[in-house]
Amino acid sequence: MIEKTLQIINEQGLHARPAAHLVKIAGRFKSEVKILKDGLEVNGKSIMGVMMLAAETGSYLSFVITGEDEQAAIEAIEELINKKFYE
Amino acid sequence: MKVDYITIRTLLRENQARLKLTQLCSENGLNRKVSVPDIHRPGLALSGFVQLFTNDRIQVIGNTEIRYLQILDEEKLHQSINTFIEFEIPAIIITNNNTAPPYLIEAARRRHISVFKTPYSTTRLIHLLGEYLHDVFAPRQSVHGSMVDVYGVGILITGRSGIGKSEITLDLIERGNRLVADDLVIVTRRTEEMLIGRGREIAEHFLEIRGLGLVDVRRIFGIRGIRRQKRVEVVVKLVDWDKDSQYERIGLDENQTKILDVDLPEVILPINPGKNVTVIIETIAMNFLLRAYGYHPAREFNTKLKDFMQQKDNERLDLDRDSIERDIE
Repeated sequence: MIEKTLQIINEQGLHARPAAHLVKIAGRFKSEVKILKDGLEVNGKSIMGVMMLAAETGSYLSFVITGEDEQAAIEAIEELINKKFYE
Repeated sequence: MKVDYITIRTLLRENQARLKLTQLCSENGLNRKVSVPDIHRPGLALSGFVQLFTNDRIQVIGNTEIRYLQILDEEKLHQSINTFIEFEIPAIIITNNNTAPPYLIEAARRRHISVFKTPYSTTRLIHLLGEYLHDVFAPRQSVHGSMVDVYGVGILITGRSGIGKSEITLDLIERGNRLVADDLVIVTRRTEEMLIGRGREIAEHFLEIRGLGLVDVRRIFGIRGIRRQKRVEVVVKLVDWDKDSQYERIGLDENQTKILDVDLPEVILPINPGKNVTVIIETIAMNFLLRAYGYHPAREFNTKLKDFMQQKDNERLDLDRDSIERDIE
């Protein structure tokens, strides 16, 4: 199990398009991806869940990833967030 | 699949009453063919200018042409008509019930070109005849799929053989939607951006359900379960579920496909057990209608989400506490 907190840095926050991108990346891995924010826990492979986080720019998300490819998954997600979802 | 030509005989058979045509001469001329949908008024050709004369079109002689021929002396009249009639012309139609110069009829008979008369004005005739010819010569293509009118939206369902197009179609009809065609849809481009789908006459409103055979939808569901033709507005492509494929999740971007060079929205729908495709297709149709009325669900949702993220944290917390503590909406 890997736990990591990442900051959302793209200007518009985690709106529909970045959320879809995140779900697409998370869906490529076998590992379970959980995202936590303000006491809310959602499945990182569910588009509605990720959007419900309403993660604005500057906010922090905790990722809990469990599974055989957890290391690769967290690296891919971290890159996506740090590259501002390629917006 | 395209119609190359029709004979004047066919044109007359299908339009005699509609265009109020009276045949003035030449039975033999009925075997002539027309292969273009356009119509021509031969004013300039009759005056002697025959460069670029579009003689392959049906020639319509209106008031202007008749008046012009009337003012010519006999020698000039014969010369004018001879030059004109030497071209291969599919047929001639005289409008406003004008009386044609006898020499024109004589020359046309000699050349085996049919001449007709109509009480309609030139504009009206060109309109009516043009409509028919453009329909006959419209680009058409057959598409393997089913077509249903769902809440007034023309949905073309495509996908590999055996994926369940007919079964889904039957389900849609059972829920009150109307069958246009099953298995083979003839799509015609009526105007530059409008496609019309219909079935083959022989198989009209029959469905084939595997394990059951042919189903006569008109007999079972009645006249309200069918319709003859419908504009194609959305394509729904059924595909086998593939866990490695990416499918549309939000709907901010619309997938497009082309039929006969016309752009159409296409929804790619993965099929897996337990999925009620019929209800999804009905939702696609209703979403299409909402968009036609200016409401875009995905954009609307995203605007709401962005607004929410911009609010101050305090306001958001208050809102949450309110709804939890007082259990109100």
